Amino acid sequence: MYLATEDKYKSIIRAFLSNIVWIIFLILLFAFSVGVEGFFSIDNYINIIYHSVFIGILAIAETYVLISGNLDLSIESVAACSAIMSVWLCSTSQYASGLLLQTWIGFIVVVAIGASVGLFNAFFVVKLKINAFLVTLSSYIFVRAIAIWVTGGYGMSGLPETFRIIDKTKFLDIPLMVFLMIILYIFFEFVLKRSRFGRHIYILGGNESAARNFGININKLLYKVFVLSGVVAALAGWLMAARANGAVASMGRNYLFEALTAVVIGGVSLTGGEGSLVGVFAGALILSSIHSALNITAMSPFITNAIQGFLIIIAVSLDSLKKMFK
Amino acid sequence: MGVDDKRILLKVDKVSKYFGSVTALQDASFTVYENEIVGLVGDNGAGKSTLIKILSGNFPSDSGNIYFNGKSIKFSDPLDARKVGIETVYQDLSICDNLDASSNLFIGREIYKKVLGLGVLNIAEMKKRTQKILSDVGIKIPSVDEKVQYLSGGQRQAISLGRFLAWGKRLILLDEPTAALGVRETRKVLDLIKRTKEERKEASIILISHNLQQVFEIVDRIIVLRHGEVIGIRKKVKTNTDEIVSLITGAIFVNQSKGNK
Repeated sequence: MYLATEDKYKSIIRAFLSNIVWIIFLILLFAFSVGVEGFFSIDNYINIIYHSVFIGILAIAETYVLISGNLDLSIESVAACSAIMSVWLCSTSQYASGLLLQTWIGFIVVVAIGASVGLFNAFFVVKLKINAFLVTLSSYIFVRAIAIWVTGGYGMSGLPETFRIIDKTKFLDIPLMVFLMIILYIFFEFVLKRSRFGRHIYILGGNESAARNFGININKLLYKVFVLSGVVAALAGWLMAARANGAVASMGRNYLFEALTAVVIGGVSLTGGEGSLVGVFAGALILSSIHSALNITAMSPFITNAIQGFLIIIAVSLDSLKKMFK
Repeated sequence: MGVDDKRILLKVDKVSKYFGSVTALQDASFTVYENEIVGLVGDNGAGKSTLIKILSGNFPSDSGNIYFNGKSIKFSDPLDARKVGIETVYQDLSICDNLDASSNLFIGREIYKKVLGLGVLNIAEMKKRTQKILSDVGIKIPSVDEKVQYLSGGQRQAISLGRFLAWGKRLILLDEPTAALGVRETRKVLDLIKRTKEERKEASIILISHNLQQVFEIVDRIIVLRHGEVIGIRKKVKTNTDEIVSLITGAIFVNQSKGNK
């Protein structure tokens, strides 16, 4: 189809701005590799991905919810609850339940917990039409609290080998979790872009009345989105327990905002309908790269927060710049 | 224009709809014949959109019957209506700005291919068909890959109309299709509606519009709604703007107007 030169020029700028997060990531990676001694090594690169796994997986959950036009603040607490409960059910710690459940049973229990929180969130959003921010703020507060209350809030350790194997296994010197995260990203990006479920999420987030006019069952869709978010967050928590070989009450504190940062830097819009996991993956890697660079240089961890704060505003500004090239 | 010898496509029989204590539609009855354009006019709140939304399956009526193509129908959602060939162009266009033209054209009727037993969106096929649909109807947009938010108002409207041209095989419901358009674009839309009637002998169109000049230009008959009631049905050739305006505003009281004359 015929394109005017000016349109073509604008399309190119938009395409560039759409992938800006990867460009930022590559620039940062290059800058750190050149400027920070000890940063440039394959091991460190793998390490960067390895340390982005939890935030990265939580970001998948948040991306789905945000694209549907909602918000899920409970992911951090679901992950923490999942970690605490799975350790409480499966570990040999004196503070654990003593049930010594098999790893896979513990896994099923925490996934069920994640799904239940998702159901809870969706119920109040769908049936009572309460804003998702308030509903999930509520579950953000009570889900972790319940886990701490049930387990007594003690630090627990001593997980069986079958549990820890997910963290200890390596292929070609690369931790299994790295592959796992990449597989999850590919899978969920595919579902988002190529399945009916994913397409309906974009339609709902883009124009709710269009979704209704075209016969999409919005309520059912929201149940699915929130349950998926809960289950994915629970999975992240279970992996956190495996890596830590235990759990503490404060596990995963601030992961919500880290995940939200990754998602927003990755180009997902808070108003729904916009974004993809390709960008979010880069967002998660950017955060992890900054952590790594600051660790190596032994700089104050507060600088990390300052940089992240500025990154959000830069990423969001670039995104709104895109809309100017109409 | 003899409509009397034509087949009945749609028969709406004493249809009512209430929202709480508000009567949106009261015993509305009328008929739409095959291959005619019917104008649905009335003041704001007269029940036009309610009627359209019942016919397009957005919500059910509270009482009365609707016969489509000879069969009694009761839609539980918009998909039911679309399955029998009723396509609606909504006032708000129902365009998703975050998706490209072909995704918008195919909303709710996406094409899937089987991959390992799972339905996977067939994006290439939808793009191919979009090109064809749009060029068939003479609609030009810069690129089917661009998100619709980067298109102009007229181009976005074109996509919305592309839907009815592609799928509206039997009954096309147009809710204020030119409300947001400029003069030239409005002209195009009216021509498109007229052309559709000429080219599709089995299709009928119900047009909601506030612009009586427009209505008189393209419709065969006019149905006037007031306070949720069908207050008058007129053949275009046997009425004039003055009479229709009087019916809309209530300057003329018509007691027995249900029927097709």
